[in-house]
Amino acid sequence: MTDTLPAAAVEAAFKPPRSQWRDVWDQFRTHKGAMVGAVVLALLIFFVLFGAFIWRIDPAFIEPDAVKMIRSRNQPPSWAHPLGTDQLGRDMLARMIAGGRVSLAVGLTAMLIAILLGTTVGVLAGYFRRLDGPLMRMTDLFLALPLLPLLLVMVLLFRDKLAGVFGPELGTFLLIVFAIGVTSWMQSARIVRGEVLALKEREFVLAARSIGTPSRRMILRHILPNVMSPIMVAATLGIASAIITESALSFLGLGFPPDFPTWGRLLFDGVDYLQQYPERVIWPGLAISLTVLSVNYIGDGLRDALDPRIRGR
Amino acid sequence: MLDASPPRKKLVEVKNLKMYFPIHTGLLRRHTGDVKAVDDISFDIYEGETLGLVGESGCGKSTAGRALIRLYELTSGSVTIDGVDIATLSAEQLRLKRPTMQMVFQDPQASLNPRMTVSAIIGEPLDEHTTLTKAEKLARIYELMDAVGLNRNFANRYPHAFSGGQRQRIGIARALALNPKFIVCDEPIAALDVSIQAQVVNLLEDLQEKFGLTYLFISHDLSMVRHIADRVAVMYLGQIMELSARDALYADPLHPYAKALLSAVPEPDPAKAARARIILQGDVPSPANPPKGCNFCTRCPQVIPVCREVQPALTEVAPGRFVACHLVQPTALTAGPTGGTEAKEHNQQGATR
Repeated sequence: MTDTLPAAAVEAAFKPPRSQWRDVWDQFRTHKGAMVGAVVLALLIFFVLFGAFIWRIDPAFIEPDAVKMIRSRNQPPSWAHPLGTDQLGRDMLARMIAGGRVSLAVGLTAMLIAILLGTTVGVLAGYFRRLDGPLMRMTDLFLALPLLPLLLVMVLLFRDKLAGVFGPELGTFLLIVFAIGVTSWMQSARIVRGEVLALKEREFVLAARSIGTPSRRMILRHILPNVMSPIMVAATLGIASAIITESALSFLGLGFPPDFPTWGRLLFDGVDYLQQYPERVIWPGLAISLTVLSVNYIGDGLRDALDPRIRGR
Repeated sequence: MLDASPPRKKLVEVKNLKMYFPIHTGLLRRHTGDVKAVDDISFDIYEGETLGLVGESGCGKSTAGRALIRLYELTSGSVTIDGVDIATLSAEQLRLKRPTMQMVFQDPQASLNPRMTVSAIIGEPLDEHTTLTKAEKLARIYELMDAVGLNRNFANRYPHAFSGGQRQRIGIARALALNPKFIVCDEPIAALDVSIQAQVVNLLEDLQEKFGLTYLFISHDLSMVRHIADRVAVMYLGQIMELSARDALYADPLHPYAKALLSAVPEPDPAKAARARIILQGDVPSPANPPKGCNFCTRCPQVIPVCREVQPALTEVAPGRFVACHLVQPTALTAGPTGGTEAKEHNQQGATR
């Protein structure tokens, strides 16, 4: 082996270990799709966060004057309304901005809750044999529940109470995010459990046991980094389904109030006018698709960047 | 080399070690039997020596090695390492005891976490058991890398970037990190090609000399065991068949299974290659359902009726030679370790029952 150099040469050629996260960032930057995705997502977030300060039309504004209101309905794109107006004469661009803020927040938060729950349950079930049975039966139970009726019941039971504590908007937001989160963690829990079961039998886990690594550090140091990929995939897909579920809830009248814009809500409102004004479906649809796609690519790039076998290739 | 010589300190004492894996069947997952991977083995390892553990695949070598440092919960028996019975320690006490005993694994690819750098892998034992500062830890990691012959510049790389031999060196460095007294080498060379095997074995020998280590060297490579081990235990179906000093065993195996196993070692010298091979008939019985009597009775070429009834105990038949066979009885005639093979054979035949 040629790696036994004299000490002096070793000393001379010696570089101290550098941060792993720099390697991760370097690899992430080489992934074109991920960089494009990151830029698109950043633009979308910028658009929904700061768009309202630039485009200062109230998204809920309806002409109080009946004649003006009827005239301002269903306008095509113009300088006054770049995306046109809807069936009540409200500005579509302003509604897109306001809706995006809610949709993105719901999507990201619900996904975080679902992934957190799913990963915790999956890792615990996979790692501790005693918890496996109870936790997986609970997962099966949740999978077997019809989700929409469950959501409806939850919303009916808790909406007013939460609205009383946190105010109607934050209350509804918390309720929806929580409801979507606790009803969509099961898939990731199952995937993670399977991966953990396989990982647990690998020799490096045995090696860590022989060193005397306690369970919690074993999970954090050896198990979690190695189940990152499936978690990442589940997370990116989770955002999309959370946005869609939120719009379904709003559509059923159980999410945010009907005049409160979200991308999903705009999409459903637009479906009635699909033939006359297809753009009213295209814009929110495009926004949802772009979000999902960019998050997917970011997840893809992150997964590659976190895997040292792919990194540096 | 023989353990009959003046009393040496026993570092590891294994008594009646049993490692059964339960079989659950049926709808109710009832406990219907056990895979007797290791069935009642006892042996000692003296400080500073290398005990070779050989046997065919599936005979329980690796299970025995893992059970020895309690990677499995023992079914029964005791393992005393450095004066402490580790079989009964609580989890936390065991954790504190871990630094004394370490393990080098068979597959260097699988035994290193692919997402950790070399310095993180070698540093993990230090994280767990010491309170070194970052700089001290790094210094220790470099020291270990030097000891196993790895370039310090590799500290930042990941296991996938190394060859098999280098990976095994990382595994050895990790095992050495806490200055252990006893290392279980679980087929450390089985996954390496021959040129690298020699390097790794020589490294293990150098380290043994330097740090005064004690090895349990598990392998199915009989030539390599002959090279590295001081004493050799031959296992078959979860039991030790013969435990002898290396030279005595290789010159004159006493147990029929040891004879058959050693006759399979290829002889590099064509002039001597005419040695008769003992070819065993049949398959190894399932460890879930071992035969009555001697475990080897189904395939033994010299089987006699008592073998199918009574399980022979591992007894010292000559100084430092332990054999579990009805055909090999303790004899007084052994002046030297390899005295009169032919005569012994006759004696054994006469002394059956």
